[in-house]
Amino acid sequence: MSEILIKNAYVIDPISGVNGETMDIAIRDGRIVEDVGGGAEVIDARGALTLPGGIDSHTHICGTKVNFGRYMSPEDMRAGRTARHGYMHATSGYSVPTTYGNSYRYSRMGYTTLLEGAMAPLEARHTHEEFLYTPLQDTMANALFDGNWSILEAIRDGDTKRVAAIIGWFLTAVKGFAVKLTNPGGTEAWGWGKDVTCIHNPVPNFEVSPSEIITAVVKANEMLRLPHSVHLHCNNLGKPGNYTCTMGTLGLIPDLNKKRQTLYATHVQFHSYGGSGWSDFCSKSEPVANVVNMRPQIVIDMGQVMFGKTTTMTADGPMEFNLYRLHHDKWSNHDVELETGSGIIPVLYRRKNLVNAVMWAIGLELGLLVKDPWQCIMATDNPNGAPFVRYPEVIALLMSKKYRDEEFATVHPDTESRVPLPAIEREMDWYEIAVMTRAAQAKALGIVDIGKGHLGVGAEADVAIYPVRADEVDPAVDYRKVIEAFGKTEYTIKRGRVVSRRGECLVDGNNTTIWVKPKISEEYNMANDPDFIAKFDRYYTVRMSNYPVQDEYLKRNLCIETEAEL
Amino acid sequence: MKVMMNTGRTVDQGANVENKRSVAYRDETSTCFMHFFDMMELGIDEGENVLVASPYGRVVLTAAADDLIKPGTIFVPYGPYANHIIGGETHSTGMPDFKSTEVTVDATDEPRRTIYELMEELGGLPYDH
Amino acid sequence: MIIKDTVCPFCGCLCDDIEVTVEDGKIVATDNACTLGTSKFLGDHRMKSPIRRVGKEWKEISYDEAIDYTVDMLLDADRPLLYGWSGTHGEAQCVGVHMAELLKGVIDNTSSVCHGPSILAIQEVGHPGCTLGQVKNRADIIIYWGCNPIDAHPRHLSRYTRYANGFFLENSFRDRKVIVVDVRKSQTTNLADEFVQIKPGCDYAVLSALRAIVRGKGDDLPRTVGGVQREQLFRIVDLCKKAKFGAVYFGLGLTMTAGKYKNIRNAIELVDELNRHTKFTISAMRGHYNVYGSNEVNTWMTGYPFGIDFSRGIAFYNPGETTAVDILARKECDACLIVASDPAAHFPRPCIEHLAEIPVVQIDPYANATTAFCDVQIPVGITGIDAAGTAYRMDGVPIRTKKVLETAYPSDEEILGSVYARIQEVRQP
Repeated sequence: MSEILIKNAYVIDPISGVNGETMDIAIRDGRIVEDVGGGAEVIDARGALTLPGGIDSHTHICGTKVNFGRYMSPEDMRAGRTARHGYMHATSGYSVPTTYGNSYRYSRMGYTTLLEGAMAPLEARHTHEEFLYTPLQDTMANALFDGNWSILEAIRDGDTKRVAAIIGWFLTAVKGFAVKLTNPGGTEAWGWGKDVTCIHNPVPNFEVSPSEIITAVVKANEMLRLPHSVHLHCNNLGKPGNYTCTMGTLGLIPDLNKKRQTLYATHVQFHSYGGSGWSDFCSKSEPVANVVNMRPQIVIDMGQVMFGKTTTMTADGPMEFNLYRLHHDKWSNHDVELETGSGIIPVLYRRKNLVNAVMWAIGLELGLLVKDPWQCIMATDNPNGAPFVRYPEVIALLMSKKYRDEEFATVHPDTESRVPLPAIEREMDWYEIAVMTRAAQAKALGIVDIGKGHLGVGAEADVAIYPVRADEVDPAVDYRKVIEAFGKTEYTIKRGRVVSRRGECLVDGNNTTIWVKPKISEEYNMANDPDFIAKFDRYYTVRMSNYPVQDEYLKRNLCIETEAEL
Repeated sequence: MKVMMNTGRTVDQGANVENKRSVAYRDETSTCFMHFFDMMELGIDEGENVLVASPYGRVVLTAAADDLIKPGTIFVPYGPYANHIIGGETHSTGMPDFKSTEVTVDATDEPRRTIYELMEELGGLPYDH
Repeated sequence: MIIKDTVCPFCGCLCDDIEVTVEDGKIVATDNACTLGTSKFLGDHRMKSPIRRVGKEWKEISYDEAIDYTVDMLLDADRPLLYGWSGTHGEAQCVGVHMAELLKGVIDNTSSVCHGPSILAIQEVGHPGCTLGQVKNRADIIIYWGCNPIDAHPRHLSRYTRYANGFFLENSFRDRKVIVVDVRKSQTTNLADEFVQIKPGCDYAVLSALRAIVRGKGDDLPRTVGGVQREQLFRIVDLCKKAKFGAVYFGLGLTMTAGKYKNIRNAIELVDELNRHTKFTISAMRGHYNVYGSNEVNTWMTGYPFGIDFSRGIAFYNPGETTAVDILARKECDACLIVASDPAAHFPRPCIEHLAEIPVVQIDPYANATTAFCDVQIPVGITGIDAAGTAYRMDGVPIRTKKVLETAYPSDEEILGSVYARIQEVRQP
């Protein structure tokens, strides 16, 4: 039995309805409890800001594409080296750190749970292998279904139950957590070097449109009663004028779930562009934020861009090729048979580049214009908009108009005529930041019930204590203190153990992989479906019996079983 | 005769790669495939030995005619015989010149040695159990 | 007993449809495997116990004694080299990286002498690739450049290209064109619709010529380039541009010849160029069944695919300096641990001469050329036969190899784990 008592913590815990109370937190055997005995280890928080452990609901940290980002970029590896010392292994990388690099750097920022945003099912074993070397956070992965042939065929045949059954089989087989659609239909078209232009453009050879894919998969997701909603990367990413496509997509989504959103739209910054080309490129954050404000069934994340070097990586293969043709640096692509695609290119976002400056503004505008912080999550689509180590700056920008104005003065002078940002006065408070960096994530992912994202009795004891007095510091003025505080915790506690202390990671952790298993009736069990099996055998290059991720790849894990309506 | 030596994998080399003590592996990797014209010029027949030398060493191989090989080049299956005469320079890439080493080929009466004899020459101790 | 869907641990194709027949604790037959795979599954003459060289004699020793020797050798070294790794499973490779880090040693894998140059090219210009099934189901044009799959990857043609029917190609043999580019004729060139024979050392020039034609600058070319007629080059570009999906596979014919990584860079840039007209991909024909896995494991743990030097505590990578051939040829390392490879058979002579002068431990199921240079060899189970573990196919798809035989041999991971634990006791108490 291990016990910890955190005394004098200045707690903000939105899910429990706590907003700035100085209190004690008792921990026993990895869970929050009412109280502990006199022998408990005492941590005196001295009034420091204490939040539930941070959760990143959309990041790219583990798997084939991420590792290829490292593999092709020795220059990025050199840009972030630390030597082995204490319990910490050597790390490399700035925008795509090694697994230990990700884990230590997230941990020192107070993050305890991470969702890998895009896992190709065929290569799921790779993601799970890297999870094993991401010791200080609980992990989960979105499985990609945007170009899955069996699903495209079932949608064409109008059989939504079959869509759900296939998703259920794959999620269970690959130990995935949620359903991801990346440029639905576009990744299949990219198999021929083509793309879809918007949601009503049919996918070559499959006679379905992105809108049909999105609506069918959203319905199927709810039939499976999955904890998370469909996680969508809209069509047309990064193209001027794409906001109409984004608004059309968000308009497709009915409100099907009482507990959470019905659609999680990710990195919406990249999808809120106006203009007919790069010359009249401008922000359309206002109409997009208005749609979100009117539709409680939608949650978005910002996809904030920060100036500097990074690496872009996504399953959206055609988008990366377009980006390559703009940047002319180096380009990798990796199509995955019967399932999806992917692409990687390094980029440098420059403040003196008008397009980049507009992008930077749009992310912040979304964060500030979406009224309810539970509907707009803070993220950079790590590392696409910026590496996650830039989160403290993003938080400070949301909290301080002064900081925004100072930054704005340094960007391309024409930016002002393209974006509404300078006119936005809103400054987020500590509570709103706590929502946008952990509570909203837990709710959107549907993991509050397993004890994530809050500090109520029974919750997992994932706690971040930041070296700042939230009751004394005015973040709108002292934004430097905000950046410093969110950059390095005083303590990060994971499942009741101190894993990071002032940036030093103290134990070799043992993470939990969270995955889902919908219980499906025999009638809809794809493992017995002759057509599914025959096509699998004929077109995949891996045997169906060798496809599922074996138990050996999950050391500590938590399976969420759901009762599917099938 | 001056020629360019190419090396590479062959199916017989690969099939015996886990059993390097086999006669099959030895025979395959100590074969010098060359064009019939070059053999005529050296005055040798199929199965006779040639001495192949480079600045890094010399090795005796058995000649075999192969009309797929261009005159002026020889092909030696990847293995200890070819490597006996390849140097360690990698031109800052980590990769030696496995496929482009200039060598001389001459007829010889010297016998071909076993792999372990080659290893002994370099300071190794054969293991034969 | 017949075990279906077994994974073949020979080449980078990592075929997972092998049927293995086991009788009385031995594999007696295989189905679906090629010559290379069959010979590995039916392999015999495994080393029975660890051995140690004492003067001019070999002596059998226990596993404990062998581990003791290995630990002492590694702890005593200033600059140990940990080399090989491509013939074992990922779990063992992970232990190797941790060990190299703690020892402040150098870890390198066999890719430095196979597709290391390809990786250098990828680090310059990227890699437009895809999984093998994407090619099987879609590609109507295949180009094999500087490789000979019939000999080195015998089922590549039947599983993925020439003879493999796919979703969009009902009759592959009829609907797919196969072009083979090589300096010599081979069994593979006999199966080609179009054979392009180039002069040795001229790959770079021919690739540049093709790029020029794709960009509409072909009129400036001379009548022949690298021994290839201009007309043939134009014909090939025409075929490529008309294709719906093209796939280039290249081998050591490009990485080992003059120009090395610049050849690959040129080939990749040709593919980039073709992507402006149609869909094209390019991929390396990886040799060892898990050489790609060793690149993957090294990358997620250290940031670099091969040739990693931990002597300064950080992971440092500089191919040509931190790669095995260079470190041995410069006589720099003072001890060498070799796992699942055979450098004495595959390295140039100066490297082997240095191996003869330093303490060497090899972990390998078989006696091989490197055995002659060992102080100790530790026999282990063969991954995919009597040990299970993860391997990465040439296209990056990870597959779990199976254990089909029960033997008393420990796995690579177990031996390395014991050695690492002992090193930790001393270096990380």
